[in-house]
Amino acid sequence: MAALGVDCSEASEVEGNNFSCQKTADSWKRDIIRQLKHRDKSQKSMFQDVIRSYISLLERTNQQALITKGILGSGSRHLASSSDSLPSLISKNDDLKKITGELAYQVVELQQEIRIKDSVLEGQAVRMCEVQRSLQGVQSDYGGLAARVAEVTEGNRQLKREYDALLERHHDMDQTFRVEKVRGQELLEDLIKRKQHAAVRMNSRNERRVRAREASLQKELETAGKLNVTINVKKRRGNSVCLSLQEDLYAPVGICVAARVPARALHVLDAHELGINAVRFSYSSNLLATGGTDRSIKLWDVKGGMLHNRGTLDGSNEGITSIEFDPTGTRVLAGSYDKSALFWRLDDSVPKLTLTGHSRKVTAAKFKCSMRHVVTGSADRTVKIWDLHRAACIQTIEVLSYCSDVVCSEFFIVSGHYDRKIRFWDSRAASCTQEVPLPGKVTSLDISPDHRQLLSCSRDETLHVVDLRMNSCRICFRAEGFKCGCDNTKAIFSPDGSYLAAGSADGAVYIWNINTGNLETRLPEMHSSSINAVAWSGSGEYVVSVDKSRRAVLWSDI
Amino acid sequence: MADDKDVLRDVWFGRIPTCFTLYQDEVTEREAEPFYLLLPRVSYLTLVTDKVKKHFLKVMKAEDVEEIWFEYEGTPLKWHYPIGLLFDLHASNTSLPWSITVHFKNFPERDLLHCPCNSVIEAHFMSSIKEADALKHKSQVINDMQKKDHKQLWMGLQNDKFDQFWAINRKLMEYPTEEGGFRYIPFRIYLTMSDRPFIQKLFRPISPDGHTHTLGDLLKEVYPVAIASDDEAKRYQVVIHGIEPLLETPLQWLSEHLSHPDNFLHISVIPAPSD
Repeated sequence: MAALGVDCSEASEVEGNNFSCQKTADSWKRDIIRQLKHRDKSQKSMFQDVIRSYISLLERTNQQALITKGILGSGSRHLASSSDSLPSLISKNDDLKKITGELAYQVVELQQEIRIKDSVLEGQAVRMCEVQRSLQGVQSDYGGLAARVAEVTEGNRQLKREYDALLERHHDMDQTFRVEKVRGQELLEDLIKRKQHAAVRMNSRNERRVRAREASLQKELETAGKLNVTINVKKRRGNSVCLSLQEDLYAPVGICVAARVPARALHVLDAHELGINAVRFSYSSNLLATGGTDRSIKLWDVKGGMLHNRGTLDGSNEGITSIEFDPTGTRVLAGSYDKSALFWRLDDSVPKLTLTGHSRKVTAAKFKCSMRHVVTGSADRTVKIWDLHRAACIQTIEVLSYCSDVVCSEFFIVSGHYDRKIRFWDSRAASCTQEVPLPGKVTSLDISPDHRQLLSCSRDETLHVVDLRMNSCRICFRAEGFKCGCDNTKAIFSPDGSYLAAGSADGAVYIWNINTGNLETRLPEMHSSSINAVAWSGSGEYVVSVDKSRRAVLWSDI
Repeated sequence: MADDKDVLRDVWFGRIPTCFTLYQDEVTEREAEPFYLLLPRVSYLTLVTDKVKKHFLKVMKAEDVEEIWFEYEGTPLKWHYPIGLLFDLHASNTSLPWSITVHFKNFPERDLLHCPCNSVIEAHFMSSIKEADALKHKSQVINDMQKKDHKQLWMGLQNDKFDQFWAINRKLMEYPTEEGGFRYIPFRIYLTMSDRPFIQKLFRPISPDGHTHTLGDLLKEVYPVAIASDDEAKRYQVVIHGIEPLLETPLQWLSEHLSHPDNFLHISVIPAPSD
């Protein structure tokens, strides 16, 4: 190669000198190209194929060797392992020991895990037991509650049954009630019928009496007619012959000469059913009338030191407040709580007249001096004057205050009032002529038989006597232990006008002497409650006191 | 120009048949057979000898293997020289195939560089290119290139891809026309009988007066000994890529077409064979 190169270079040099620059340029390039080609031929191409096939052969042999190695692998490996040297065995032993150690560690760990899981399981089992127990408890509670529910429903049913039974009973009761109501109504009707019958009977009786009287009258008239009577031709003027309605106005009145102070009780009795408010002796005889809350006036006769019942006057619808006899002693006037005054003729128990017109209770009813007129005082603050023949009120006097008592003299009416005044009224002019003030409520008035003195009993436990002539001079009577029992306590003059008598709240009768002004005597112990009224007989022998507890006591000095 | 392309191809695809023999003192399990291989001239030893290593490792125990190194007739072969250069320098006139001895032990620390992996070879290769471009274009062209271009150069060399390599390398072979050539020519002259590894100097391809320099001019300037005088017998051969270019070959053309992939003209001056 080197020789060739030298040749080429020489040749090219020669050529280069002869030719132009361009050719020179080409020549060295051509030379280079040629040289390169030559080089490659000698160096590369000759060996290329050989080496390529060599390499492929080598690869093939390598592969075959690998394959054979693989086939013989297991066997050769055993041989290889058995022929391993001691250190490798030892190292293998160490590895195995390490592996066993790791496995043992893993075993320990797994055992730990197992233990943990076991404890967890236990806990769960415990919880399950608890839950089961609570479930049982709940079930038993539920059973108990169900039983209670059954009980309660049973109780309800029972109550319902009872209620139904009660309802039935109620129905029955209702029926019986209705039936009874009907019966009651029937009974009421029956009663009304009976009352009507009684009324009819009374009416018939009254009619009979009237008829009897008429018949007797007729008889008398007949007999009188039969008699030959010389009739004066001269007619008398003035005096008209009238029948029984107009009576003699002036009857002989007994006058008491001397009253006797009573000393002891002759007769004690329960005169009425309820409390006795008023008592009055008749002027001329020993006829006594008592009246009280039981609405009837009882008539008594004093015989042999005892009170004998002579009759009863009915007709008041409510309690009796005051009683008055007329001067003849045949007629009785009474004031009543039923706002009326009643008038009886003693031969009739039925009231002849009822004077109504007051708007409140009539506290006193008195005859005016002429027998035709009656004066009533009432709690409605009026005093009315009535005409008996017409049975009507002819005058009403406004007296400005609750009138508790009324007395009449010839010229004026005297009224006592709760506003602590006594008023004098001119009956004709109906005007107040005088007012006498008192320290306490006026409970009763009484006029002395000679109409010269006026006695008033007042609530301040005093009695006052007013001289009617002089109208001012007053004497005041007091006594230790004397107390007005109520607003209607009555005090009276003795028939001779020398003593005063009044009943006290302590149940004793007090008698004062007017002339001396002192307490004459005191009659205790017969009454157990306060004395409402006293009455002195016209003869002066007897004193009767009546009290709230329906007792009447007859006193006398013997 | 087609000739130029042929020149480039011939330069790239140059091959040297080689026989690798394991050094007999290496401890082997069984007889190691020699390994034959065609080595590319333009590549580097450690880049292309993987098969050789594998072949010889088959017969050796792993604990006996250290870094592989090669030597020819006692001379450790520097892997950072191109293979073609090594052949031209050491065994150009010997019989083929070239016999290289493979060693696995007793790495000669003072003579050889270690080559632990391919990235070392890549670093060396790229630094050579950069050095060459620094001489040629003041590093402008190489610095304008992207990293992928650098990578492409290396991959082209590693995988023996001529087109891939020259797609980028032609940029490095361009020069501004007003210059007429590179700034300086990158070359190295290697001598067998010298303690200097190589001669590298700055040398312009065009003289200041516009005269193109030739190979002869270069040698006269740098190593006049290589050129024989007219009357004397030629004592030295100037070998590039296994051929002796005429001395009037323009240096610029040589640098463009006969450079190694690392853009250097590696010139060997060997004693002429005395027949």
